[in-house]
Amino acid sequence: MLTIVLRAILIYLVVLFLYRLMGKRQLGQMQPFELVLTLIIADLATIPMAEISVPVLHGIVPLLTLVLLHFALTLLCKLSSKFSRFISGKPVIVINPDGIDYKALKNLNLSIDDIMEAMRGAGYFKLQEVQYAIMETNGKLSVFPKSECSPLTVGDMNIQVDKSALPINLVSEGKIMKENLNIAKLDSEAVTELLKKAGIKRVKDCLVLSIDKAGAVFAQEYNKKYVTFNSHPLGQVRE
Amino acid sequence: MTKFMWFQLISILTILAILISVCVIEDRLVTNALSDVLNYCYQIEKAVDTHDGILNNDVAMLVDNMEDKWFKHEWKLCYMVNHKSIQEIGVEISKIKTYMEEGDRKEFMASLELIKLYEEQYHHFMGASFHNIL
Repeated sequence: MLTIVLRAILIYLVVLFLYRLMGKRQLGQMQPFELVLTLIIADLATIPMAEISVPVLHGIVPLLTLVLLHFALTLLCKLSSKFSRFISGKPVIVINPDGIDYKALKNLNLSIDDIMEAMRGAGYFKLQEVQYAIMETNGKLSVFPKSECSPLTVGDMNIQVDKSALPINLVSEGKIMKENLNIAKLDSEAVTELLKKAGIKRVKDCLVLSIDKAGAVFAQEYNKKYVTFNSHPLGQVRE
Repeated sequence: MTKFMWFQLISILTILAILISVCVIEDRLVTNALSDVLNYCYQIEKAVDTHDGILNNDVAMLVDNMEDKWFKHEWKLCYMVNHKSIQEIGVEISKIKTYMEEGDRKEFMASLELIKLYEEQYHHFMGASFHNIL
């Protein structure tokens, strides 16, 4: 049993490393060849995990080979758009200003229900709201709405607003995030000061403490309600 | 090139090196192991013919040496080859030793032939050939 446990750990680490190597694209936006790879990897990894007579190398070698093949295919796709289209297909317009392109739908082996479902997933519930809908090569539907149905933006209203910036977490689950302190150009004394302002006595009692460019602070103690306040002039987060 | 691209490039080259090494090492290990045992089989056959029997020190020594050699090779081969595919040779060597103690020449020679057959079969299915790929 110990052998199986150790083999499982080893193969898990190898598969984890390989997925990390292939990049985050694998997780959310799989192309057909990436989906095939994922399915095969899942199957290959389990064989030597449970079968002790099979050497671990019998699982790892095909995994490594597939990853190399994946890189070769990715490189070829980058170098040649024709090859990329052959391997991954090309985006297809399924809804145009004239309505649903039934021929394109049939070529994609999709039904009206499938398109409606994908449209709802994209946040559009009525066909008349959509000007164009494109079925991407990873199977996701991109919707371009009609002008009258587009969400209103600040730009449409010609309103001047401050540039938004991501809030930076200074404390997370009772631990000071030292890297983020450098980004925010703050030191641990400043954090203590902010915590004091938020009514939190110790760093380890703090669930989360974040600050944004404008100096707006969000602080929450474990099992208590959050507090927000402006830290000016103490916290100045650089852009 | 970004750090991640360097990481990818180095990883790909490392993987390529690992795959090449594994293939070469496996081929050499399998070839060495099988040819060693096959040589012992022929030597044992010759010794049996020379002494006209299996109950003599030469044959006993050769069988012991073959067993030692095989166990050493088997230990290494198990890193590369499915253990179930190579265990028959070890079993037949054990049988040979039993038949030798019993003085059963017919069964002794049959087991020796079986080992030779296994060796040839392993050579046949372990190597990289068009037939094996398909």
